[in-house]
Amino acid sequence: MIIELGHYALVLALATALIQAWLPILGARRGDRALMELGTSAALASFLLVAFSFAVLAFAYVTSDFSVKNVWENSHSLKPLIYKITGVWGNHEGSMLLWLLILVFFSALVALFGRSLPETLKATVLAVQAWIAAAFALFVLLTSNPFARLMPAPGEGKDLNPVLQDIGLAIHPPLLYLGYVGFSVCFSFAVAALIEGRIDAAWARWVRPWTLAAWIFLTAGIAMGSYWAYYELGWGGWWFWDPVENASFMPWLAGTALLHSALVMEKREALKIWTVLLALMTFSLSLLGTFLVRSGVLTSVHAFATDPTRGIFILAILVLFIGGAFSLFAIRASHLKAGGIFAPISREGALVLNNLILTTATATVLTGTLYPLVLEALTGDKISVGAPFFNMTFGLLMLPLLAAVPFGPLLAWKRGDLAGASQRLFAAAALGLLVAGSCYYAANGGPVLAPFGIGLGVYLIFGAVTDLVLRSGLGKVAFGVAWKRLSGLPRSAFGTALAHIGVGITLIGIVTVTAFETETVIEMKPGATVDAGRYSLRFDGMRQGRGPNYTEETGHFTVSRGGVTVTEISSSKRLYPARRMPTTEAGIRTFGLSQLYVSLGDATNGGGIVVRIWWKPLILCIWGGALVMMAGGIVSLSDRRLRVGAPSRARKSARFAVGAAE
Amino acid sequence: MTRKQKRLTIIGGGVAFLMAAVLLVMFAFSQAVAYFYVPGDLAKAGVAPGTRIRLGGLVEAGSVKRGEGKTVTFSVTDTLATVPVTYTGILPDLFREGQGVVAEGAFVAGSPVFVADTVLAKHDETYMPKDVADRLEAQGVTLGGKENIR
Amino acid sequence: MLFWILVAILTAAVAAVLILPLMRAAAPLPSRHSHDIEVYRDQLDELNRDREAGLIGSEEAELARAEIARRLLSASAADTTAAEEPPKRLLSSRLAQAFILLCLPAVGLLLYLTTGSPGVPAQPLAARLANPGDDISILIAKAENHLALNPDDGAGWDLLAPIYMRNGRVADAVAAYDRAIRLLGPTAPRLGGYAEALVVQSGGLVTAEAQSALQKALALDANDPRSEFYLALGLRQEGKNAEALAAFRKLAGSSPADAPWLPLVNQHIAELGAAEPNTAAAPPANPTSEDIAAAEELDSGDRQAMIRGMVDGLASRLKEDPDNFEGWMRLIRSYVVLDQRDKARDALREGLNAFPASGEQGKQLLALGRELGIDASGEVK
Repeated sequence: MIIELGHYALVLALATALIQAWLPILGARRGDRALMELGTSAALASFLLVAFSFAVLAFAYVTSDFSVKNVWENSHSLKPLIYKITGVWGNHEGSMLLWLLILVFFSALVALFGRSLPETLKATVLAVQAWIAAAFALFVLLTSNPFARLMPAPGEGKDLNPVLQDIGLAIHPPLLYLGYVGFSVCFSFAVAALIEGRIDAAWARWVRPWTLAAWIFLTAGIAMGSYWAYYELGWGGWWFWDPVENASFMPWLAGTALLHSALVMEKREALKIWTVLLALMTFSLSLLGTFLVRSGVLTSVHAFATDPTRGIFILAILVLFIGGAFSLFAIRASHLKAGGIFAPISREGALVLNNLILTTATATVLTGTLYPLVLEALTGDKISVGAPFFNMTFGLLMLPLLAAVPFGPLLAWKRGDLAGASQRLFAAAALGLLVAGSCYYAANGGPVLAPFGIGLGVYLIFGAVTDLVLRSGLGKVAFGVAWKRLSGLPRSAFGTALAHIGVGITLIGIVTVTAFETETVIEMKPGATVDAGRYSLRFDGMRQGRGPNYTEETGHFTVSRGGVTVTEISSSKRLYPARRMPTTEAGIRTFGLSQLYVSLGDATNGGGIVVRIWWKPLILCIWGGALVMMAGGIVSLSDRRLRVGAPSRARKSARFAVGAAE
Repeated sequence: MTRKQKRLTIIGGGVAFLMAAVLLVMFAFSQAVAYFYVPGDLAKAGVAPGTRIRLGGLVEAGSVKRGEGKTVTFSVTDTLATVPVTYTGILPDLFREGQGVVAEGAFVAGSPVFVADTVLAKHDETYMPKDVADRLEAQGVTLGGKENIR
Repeated sequence: MLFWILVAILTAAVAAVLILPLMRAAAPLPSRHSHDIEVYRDQLDELNRDREAGLIGSEEAELARAEIARRLLSASAADTTAAEEPPKRLLSSRLAQAFILLCLPAVGLLLYLTTGSPGVPAQPLAARLANPGDDISILIAKAENHLALNPDDGAGWDLLAPIYMRNGRVADAVAAYDRAIRLLGPTAPRLGGYAEALVVQSGGLVTAEAQSALQKALALDANDPRSEFYLALGLRQEGKNAEALAAFRKLAGSSPADAPWLPLVNQHIAELGAAEPNTAAAPPANPTSEDIAAAEELDSGDRQAMIRGMVDGLASRLKEDPDNFEGWMRLIRSYVVLDQRDKARDALREGLNAFPASGEQGKQLLALGRELGIDASGEVK
């Protein structure tokens, strides 16, 4: 009965969303406050209903209720509890329910924390959120119902795809969805602005924290997904330019651009129309990503078994929302007042450059992702657009952006001084060159471009530090004064610096791994040794083992350096009998920021085994940089200025502050 | 600079950058993409040695020679033609005889052997590389239950 | 009943939450501009801080201050001119309430009744294991759980194997027999069952592996009729008709007169006898309906297994190769014989996918469906 109640709660959430989709916006149009407030309670009610429904599905998984078809298809009674829970979203139906849950979660957040928003804006935003929620709730119920039942119930489930039985799955999709779906709030704000025909500073201040929050989650989700693919698939790669990866990367790029353009809009009331357009584009790319992954247009580890009606349904949602939003934009954009002006060399100019490059890069990735589909539809030729294409286009396009990043925060608003900024960055650039030079010296004969990539990363890091140093006046004024100034800086300044430092760290990681990693494929017999990086590995032999729902063969290796045993690595091949499916569990050991990566192949006739060993220098920088970027986002999000805009409560103190400052 | 000049500078710069990006993308499409072939296509397509392609088909039953060091040889077939492939490295977990496979790499001049540097197989039991399935189906090769391919 | 009461309570609770704001008296709406004013004030504040920190030249600071002040002034002006709007209480409130009260139960029930399965209880595995009743799948699951922990319990596998066979899980039956034989050693019934499972798995074909198992079974017990029967069938399938005939005759001779399998054996003898001069008899790839009918004479366990197995084998082969019109006709008939009308309907549908109803063969399939009383309406595309 509890299962059916969860199912009914989902249906009721759809009905609530339908009400939330129309009444609040009607109230906003007619100035009826009661109807507008209805949006708040409806948003909270939908969230509770979907949350209950999701909890019920999780309960069915935990109790192995195989009368639920979805549980039977993706679970097994012997699976460890943690994978029973993560299995809830390790399949198409459950993951769409999670998508919906996060969407209504964000609506509820707007409802709860939007008390300081202009009420008509809030009501309209909640209504737009409800349109999306209603569409996806209908999609879940009609084409991907996780509550479909089986009578009579089977006695055992078919188990979850073993590749997905990993802790990475517990974290990666929810984070990614929090990011993807978080941009729906920006989308709803943009649509609401277009409907209301006005857009102002308060709007920009409100869009920024949502963009930031979504961006932080998406950054985390992409980094997590990349790390998961790295250690779970056993191929040693951390980014494949796989269409599904691109699907999550495109909203990230557009979201990063949005983050920066919203800044210009808030400060200078410029780029209004562009910012609205970006907000629409970012969520449209999220929807496109959902479509590409869920429709079965692409096949990959992410595409669970699909059927064509689903693809058509999502395509309809995609066309409806993207088409509708952009038509609205075409009709209403001219109603929005254009804002302030600025010189090409200025903070705004730098941010425009940022936007230009990021959107161009997004377009490049989009082209590369969709081109094979289009080409196949038109000519029947099948091509694969892979890493070489993206490295050539995306990589080259990002270079000027990376070089320009440290300039941005140093230029003044409206009209900046490029020469002055260059002077101030001289130290950072010199340091970058120095590091590049020494890298070249150290790896003489190695790749020529790599040291400069590393130098660019160093320059990014110290460029960001330079900004903080200059703002505090460190070196010019007494240390105490400088410290006081530094601590008085707005948190967003630290956020900016941290995020840019993160980009530098990631860049260093990418360049180092790409240029200096070593890969060895070798046949090893017990007792054989092989060198990787500065370490050498001795193969000790294979051992049999058994897990709760798999059997495994594990190869053991002893790692030594200069003849001294440092540690051990074990790498295994598992067989999951329920699906008769083998997986490779790579053996990974971390040394500082670098890693040794061991993957097992086939046994050879001579009693040996083929082993693939990578030495991956500074690889952790790639994800560490993402962590630093996220930290920057979080620090920025905690800036008090993002909370200003509430008339009744903040007014007095703000007025007082202005008076005191004057 | 006047307001108009400022705007023109920004727009002009933007357009120039976009043009550069478009040219770059077009250049990359002509250089850096790999076409997909099944063995039967190769004769008429005339792939030059050294050109990166993706070769798809079924792993011919009985053709896989492994266990002799780190290089594996096998044949990819679409039932019309068969191409021998060598690959050094670790085959994917689900690489099996008679199953679909995609090998990425190039032919070496003066040899009929395809040297693969990447081999992709199914991600799980119900997955078959879509390109392979479509092509083989078009050539009349039946591959197990249809619903398993999509 | 309890379920519907809970459904009603849930619906009413949501309706109450939604209607509550509509009941409250509305306060006046603050002007939009008051929000902007706060933002501009804060920007002035930040400008001052930047200037103190020396981050911005005094000239630029003055320009920026003028710009923000201009925005602030215009917003303030708009704020005062836009008099606070009087609270509006429109007729729409009643309509809104009616809309909510109608929409929730209507959409809720309509969609739920089309997609849901009211009345189906939750069936947590633990509860089912504790109280299995006659739920055969749970009994199997219980045995499987036991065997997963004690994989060396040969008796368990021995017991489970025929149950798998009866439930159509042929591959599992093969594996279970195999384990039982390895753990407990070969006996004629085990080897015979193993061979039978192999035969069914390969769609009725007596494979070499099955033959060797059958020969071993006969070596252990020369009078095992099942093994004799399948071995003879294998000979017939290989086209060794004379040897097959001899084997069948031997089986008929050694069987008691009332043995249930005797009619089937006699039928094979009759067919082989008639076709004796014909040396190149095609191996019967598909079980014929006569085979199925005759198999009813076997003892009940064997019969069930054989029919099901042959039909399952045919079904799975048709799945792989749907381009077999005769096969579809047979499969549909077989399901009707087995009284599995749902499966017959599914098979008809799948058959029509392979042979569209517009074609001649599709029409024959449809005619067969009508003749057997299978409803194919709605399945034709």
